[in-house]
Amino acid sequence: MNRLVVILAALLVLAAAVALEMIATGYVVYLVNLLLVTIVLSLGLHIVIGESGQFSLAHAAFYGIGIYTTAMATSAGWPFVLALLVGSVASAAVGLVIGLLALRMRDIYLALSTFAFGEAMQWVFMNWESVTGGPNGYNIRPMHVFGLEIISDRMAFPLVAALAVLVLCVTLVIHHSGFGRALRAVRESEIAASAVGINVRAMKLAAFTVSALLAGAAGGMFTTFSTFIHPDSLGFSATILVLTVVVVGGIGSVWGGVGGAVVFGLLNELLRQMPQYQEMIYGAILMGFMMFAPHGLFAALRRSR
Amino acid sequence: MDWDIIWLFVQQGVASGLVSGAVYALLALAIVIVYRTTDVANFAQGEIYMAASYLAFFLIVVFAAPSFVAIPVTILIVCGVSAAFQRLVLTRVAAARGVSVNLVIATLGLSYLLKGMVRFSGFGDAPRSFPSVVPDGTVMIGDASLSYLDVVIFAASLVVMAVFFWVFTYTKLGRAMRAVGMNRRAAALVGISLSRVQMQVWAFSGGISAIAALLIAPKLLLTVEMGHIATLAFAAAIVGGFTSLPGAVVGGFIIGIAENMVGLFASSRAIIVTPFVVIMLVLTLKPQGLFGGAIRVRKV
Repeated sequence: MNRLVVILAALLVLAAAVALEMIATGYVVYLVNLLLVTIVLSLGLHIVIGESGQFSLAHAAFYGIGIYTTAMATSAGWPFVLALLVGSVASAAVGLVIGLLALRMRDIYLALSTFAFGEAMQWVFMNWESVTGGPNGYNIRPMHVFGLEIISDRMAFPLVAALAVLVLCVTLVIHHSGFGRALRAVRESEIAASAVGINVRAMKLAAFTVSALLAGAAGGMFTTFSTFIHPDSLGFSATILVLTVVVVGGIGSVWGGVGGAVVFGLLNELLRQMPQYQEMIYGAILMGFMMFAPHGLFAALRRSR
Repeated sequence: MDWDIIWLFVQQGVASGLVSGAVYALLALAIVIVYRTTDVANFAQGEIYMAASYLAFFLIVVFAAPSFVAIPVTILIVCGVSAAFQRLVLTRVAAARGVSVNLVIATLGLSYLLKGMVRFSGFGDAPRSFPSVVPDGTVMIGDASLSYLDVVIFAASLVVMAVFFWVFTYTKLGRAMRAVGMNRRAAALVGISLSRVQMQVWAFSGGISAIAALLIAPKLLLTVEMGHIATLAFAAAIVGGFTSLPGAVVGGFIIGIAENMVGLFASSRAIIVTPFVVIMLVLTLKPQGLFGGAIRVRKV
């Protein structure tokens, strides 16, 4: 019965995806692409905050590293798969270095230093003009996938969707594997975790590296359908947006991250009509969820039933 | 560069650095007392400060309130709002799931709420200049020139700090705050009401932020993003060890001087990145700061 539901749901999503590709307008396809990138970003943040309980406020920086590296590799004529790989690995390498910080500090100190790193990276994006174009932004060239040039949102959609599903599967595997259990053990108690033989330092480094890897991959996905990136969209507010998604979905839940991104994406569309309320509503959501539903929207709904 | 020019730059950098450092020190004090007594790193500090300067602007320009009315009213309102935030929101967050991640996210929520409210009010659309009560003019100290406003900012900050240390060291309220900062359970055992002291601390930090805002607002243009200055206050608090009050003051001056030196000797673009580099370097190399003492290991 349960398996049947899963198969039906998967078929439904597939049908929706095909319908989207066939009949939806270009703008809707663009929104869905962006939503899928948000899902991958929130899954990346989920690994570090939800699974391992480490605080990272530099997610937008990893995303940016992924975008610029992938875009530059594409400009150099590399095929997309290779460019995506390079972008993700570059981001993961920086994530590993930030993970080294996490070995020395915790809680708010970690929050502050990752925040500082994120802001410093935005400054680098803004001022390293020879590479990123600085305040003029960077024009992303079209990608080449197996010889095919991707020039529209609609062409990029199958690729973005496939990558998003892949990342979701990877996150689920991590969540249910021994690695995921070890990360959660570190989250609950570092001392208890090391007492049962978990290498706490390695787990923290791994959490930051995987999280940055996924953020870099999200950046690579972004380059397939977007033609332009500006450092303004890679600042602290981008990190807050992803954090809000994770909080709405419920910290520590994989499907919560996906659901949170969908709910939040729809909400964002509604808010486009009235941008003057946007910041207030973000703020109220963050405060309200922390006060009344710290385990997320779906846990709160389940409990009220 | 000529030695005379370097010497002039050093004097000017120190003088201007002491002025802006005094304001950072005030904000850092607000951050540190809140962290010590309620375990909350207040990421909304900058926005509380921003909202306070807009409130004063609103009272003075729209209601045409005289300064001697507008200033105390602003301070009182900000005290009240901060205390209410602690009482209504943070205690609720702590009861729901009191881990530090959640508390930090709640303060981030407050910062966005305040930004959104100021933008919604319509005053945030363009930079506004705050009317100054101090006459124009400059004084020379050595070869450095400071405006009268700078001198007033510096002197008033020192007075506020002195009052703050007097309250913290000699009054019953201050002793209760220190006791809560040292050991919550022991403080409760000797009859200190934790909830009341924590509320008072938030009110206190709100008051200091409002004073800092009123002092520096005439020097800067008001914008919704002016809360960025809190990053410098965080850097100051971290340099001072994040739990030490004298450390916060010294850290504020160090950051203020460092910022001005970078502006004079390197470039004005590098100023923005200075606090982040300082935060990362201090936290990585000497996480306990200059005044934090030895690292304490918390037992399970």
